[in-house]
Amino acid sequence: MPAPAAPDPGEVPDIDLVKRCQAGDTRAFDVLVGRYRGRIYAMTYHMIQNETEAWDLAQEAFIKAWRALPSFKMDSAFYTWLYRITHNVVYDWLRKKKIQGEGEFDDSRTEHRVAAGAEAVPHGDLPPDTALKNAELGKRIQQAISKLSPEHRQVILLREVEGMAYEDIAATIPCTLGTVMSRLFYARKKLQELLKDCYEYAH
Amino acid sequence: MNTPTEDHDLLRWLDGEMSAVEKTAFEARLETEPELKSEAELLQRLSLDLRTHLPAEMPVPYADFFNSQIQVRLAQEENRQSPTLGSRASVFQWLRLPWLLTSAAAMIALGLALWAPSTAPQAGQLVHSIYVPSSSIQARSYHSEEARATVLVLDGLEEMPADRKIVGFNLMHSEVDEALASTTLYDGEGKAVAVMSTHAKSQPVLLTAAPHTP
Repeated sequence: MPAPAAPDPGEVPDIDLVKRCQAGDTRAFDVLVGRYRGRIYAMTYHMIQNETEAWDLAQEAFIKAWRALPSFKMDSAFYTWLYRITHNVVYDWLRKKKIQGEGEFDDSRTEHRVAAGAEAVPHGDLPPDTALKNAELGKRIQQAISKLSPEHRQVILLREVEGMAYEDIAATIPCTLGTVMSRLFYARKKLQELLKDCYEYAH
Repeated sequence: MNTPTEDHDLLRWLDGEMSAVEKTAFEARLETEPELKSEAELLQRLSLDLRTHLPAEMPVPYADFFNSQIQVRLAQEENRQSPTLGSRASVFQWLRLPWLLTSAAAMIALGLALWAPSTAPQAGQLVHSIYVPSSSIQARSYHSEEARATVLVLDGLEEMPADRKIVGFNLMHSEVDEALASTTLYDGEGKAVAVMSTHAKSQPVLLTAAPHTP
């Protein structure tokens, strides 16, 4: 299950904010949005690979969460609950758009990829050629991820980005453990194939 | 070639889903099967690269606007539930539109451009026409002798929450720079308040604005 970020000392706990939200306090919800928008946006962005759409979907997820808050029983962490809502929002959107991983890759969807790849490169003392290779690999990874079907993309992101266990992935989607493993297996094989030239020297 | 079961073992090992006993047994296998070990190392590397290049948290573009838009939506939903406010447009909905600020400023600029500072302005002379993008909003303007300013009145907007900061400027004159195709707005002390221009589609765009000092 995706772990909530470690709270800062003195930070109002999620549970207190949730209770205030359930009483209709939109300011408390604003705090929760500020706390989790970066993670929710990252999730939608990795799935959609379009900055504008990801931004809108992340908003939609928070709006749906607000609507659903009265029925939130606090039997799981707020972020876990929010994450599942986001997942449903994104997946519904993908289904509607019928984006298929086998489709031709659209460069316009990753026009900002270099910057995104560069973000993942540690700042500081890396030699320029290493930093460039890292940025290039980041771009290639984003492109490869975009070529997966939504189902495979979703599973690999839940596992690798969110660090979810198989059981939690199965509960989030929802599907069986066997389906999770099959999709993970296929997604990795496909990524290996798409990134083959990046890893050739590893053989 | 690995059987599906063996592939799943590799997957479970890679993802930390094995028990300690299973893990020990699988790692012993890796030592005796170079091909499987090579595959495992490649998948480990792929996994590491995915985690490195797909961050779990990313900066949200226009993060403050992201939050304010959510508050707008929540307010709109609340308004829909309130029949007395249902048909009223949200001021935030207006404010979310980048062109509104610039359009409003453009209207003021237009009025100022028509105003001769040495002549006392008459009511109705400063703003010749007002474009209102929503039929639920009524706009009118008048000149206030007391304030020595042209007042733009917008009816139909929601009440502004008390905690919102409202910034006001008393614009006294404007200057057009033909070379830069820009208009600079000045306050009563001759201080430049904002610089405006138009973009490629001839829509007004705010180039810069001075921070408000109470």
